Amino acid sequence: MNRRQFIMTSLGTGLGLSLGITLYPVVTATKASQLTAAEMVFDAFLPALLMGALPADNQLAQQQLLATRKAAIEFLPFLPLTQQQQLSQLFLLLEQELTRLALTGNWLSLNELPVQTRLGLLSAWRDSYLALLQQAYCGLRELLFAAYYGQPPHWAALNYQAVEFNRYG
Amino acid sequence: MDDPIRQGLARGWKHIDAATLSKDEQYEADIVIVGTGAGGGLAAEILTQAGFSVIMLEHGALNSSSDFKQQERWAYPHLYQDGAGRKTKDQGIAILQGRTVGGSTTVNWTTSIRTPKNTLGYWREHFGLDFSGDNSLEPFFDLASGRLNISQWHMSPNLNNLALKNGCEKLGWQYTIIHRNVNGCANLGLCGMGCPINAKQSMLVTTIPTALDGGATLISRISARNFEWQGDKIQALHAVPVDEHYQPRQGVNITVKARHYIAAGGAINTPALLLRSKVPNPSGRLGKHTYLHPSLISGALFAEPINGHAGAPQSVYSDQFVWPESDNMGFKLEVPPVHPVLMATKLIGMAEQHAHLMKQFNNLQVMIALLRDGFAEQAQGGTVELDSNGEPQLDYPLTDYLFAGAREALLAMAELQFAAGAKAVMPIHADGQLYKSWPEAKAAIMALPMAIYRTTLASAHVMGGCNMAMDASKGVVDMQGRHHQLKNLSVFDGSTLPTSLGANPQLTIYGLVWRNSTLLANWLHGNQ
Repeated sequence: MNRRQFIMTSLGTGLGLSLGITLYPVVTATKASQLTAAEMVFDAFLPALLMGALPADNQLAQQQLLATRKAAIEFLPFLPLTQQQQLSQLFLLLEQELTRLALTGNWLSLNELPVQTRLGLLSAWRDSYLALLQQAYCGLRELLFAAYYGQPPHWAALNYQAVEFNRYG
Repeated sequence: MDDPIRQGLARGWKHIDAATLSKDEQYEADIVIVGTGAGGGLAAEILTQAGFSVIMLEHGALNSSSDFKQQERWAYPHLYQDGAGRKTKDQGIAILQGRTVGGSTTVNWTTSIRTPKNTLGYWREHFGLDFSGDNSLEPFFDLASGRLNISQWHMSPNLNNLALKNGCEKLGWQYTIIHRNVNGCANLGLCGMGCPINAKQSMLVTTIPTALDGGATLISRISARNFEWQGDKIQALHAVPVDEHYQPRQGVNITVKARHYIAAGGAINTPALLLRSKVPNPSGRLGKHTYLHPSLISGALFAEPINGHAGAPQSVYSDQFVWPESDNMGFKLEVPPVHPVLMATKLIGMAEQHAHLMKQFNNLQVMIALLRDGFAEQAQGGTVELDSNGEPQLDYPLTDYLFAGAREALLAMAELQFAAGAKAVMPIHADGQLYKSWPEAKAAIMALPMAIYRTTLASAHVMGGCNMAMDASKGVVDMQGRHHQLKNLSVFDGSTLPTSLGANPQLTIYGLVWRNSTLLANWLHGNQ
């Protein structure tokens, strides 16, 4: 099992315990060395941020999480280069912060970090006196909500339908 | 469905997609226009019809009704500046600007309002700009209205707008039915993603096709980097192609030479182009005094569906608070279209709280209040700077004065929404909640900490940064949009506005640019 598989498997278990569902591990051919900090951060926060929006069906929820992560990653190159550089640094910092939090909280690894703790971390950033953390909260939240609600399969609960003149994709 | 762009290309329009260029190129014309939005697009038609050869440059791609996908996940990355992710330097205000052929006119919400008399009065008093008598903009507003089919919206407002109207009637507040630049509008509500039926009379389907039919050249997916100038004249414009994500691409250099140059890239990109070019700036105002109409948002839950995504996005506004008798910051009341991404990113909270609100998406009525910046000493706007990559950043300080106006705006919107029949109202603020009565909301809003990141602010109107003034010590360009120091440079976009407007800017830009393009054509003919 590579690092990514390990973390996603662990995330699945940890979040599953908190949500009362099982989040299936992500099995991909991606090598650990190809795992980006952005993916790590998105993987850590998406299930928490989207709690209540994700479908009850485990497999469907997992599909939506993956699709959202993919959409968020694909959007990043449209941002100005300076902003992309700042975000890269931020994702590295956040990944380290998440890992530190997991380790100092007597959890064996990031996988055991409960959803409420992750939400608490986001709330702490929102309410921080540090502008950088407040920006991280606002930016991450906006990026991930946009990535989730941009996709028609995620509109079922909204009862929203886009008139389609030209097919997407 | 007819697609005038594809039909024009089939007729042999001169369009170059710079992203496909693999070697250096040089082009020449009488006039080069950087930007194809309200200013650039209109100038292209007028100057082509006046007999000049014109080249238009556009950072975005040439998208048409056959390309537009009616989904935000496509529209924002492909039609908006920075994927609709543009923000002020400290990320306190989100900024929506178009970046596609036609500029913001391709994606705006069609609201067309003549420059308020109070604004013109302020310009006359503080900048020596007298747009009265022979200099009146009214004839040019009439011309633009005729050309772009601007008329009062005749259909019933959608329920999102109707709530604004009903609330105003209940409270005795002023309101106006909006004039829109549409022809054959089917009331779809998709304006922000590019009109799929070419009903919106944007530059994309009106003036730009006329210019291309008249022999003009359009170069899309190109980033203008700097003007080369000497003495009082520009000698060349240097540009590079952009990549698939619209990032400037090194390795291919494009040079455009012209008799006259027009900067029309909008009120952030035009100052940035001039700053990169290090043009003379004796007034010190280049890139300064950039205004945004910083906008507050208020959500309301109604018992019945509002379906704010359907129907003309904006058809009613209220000027009840735009020009207060006190020194407080005035604000205009309007509504935005309510689509999932726009709403999800602005709604408060996360997890269950956010999901719960999103599930009531169709019952959400949303209002915006546009703060009128640029008039009071405490609201002098922001400054365009260049980052390490030479790209613009807008440093826009959020002052106590602005936040005082923001609180008043949140209060007014809540009162209006309850008057219109809302069951609960929610100021879009990190500490906001759903409040079930006007007294409860009023007390809560009075106690909200008004601060950056906690108070959600957005903008769709960028103005200033190359302001016009009669006196060269007070502005970058003169009353005709001509640069005070460089004789063959004009600025024809919202950056020339000396203040914000207190109204949506597209018709003001059309009026000014129609006037100034006509004057420029006459001047160029007289100086051949």
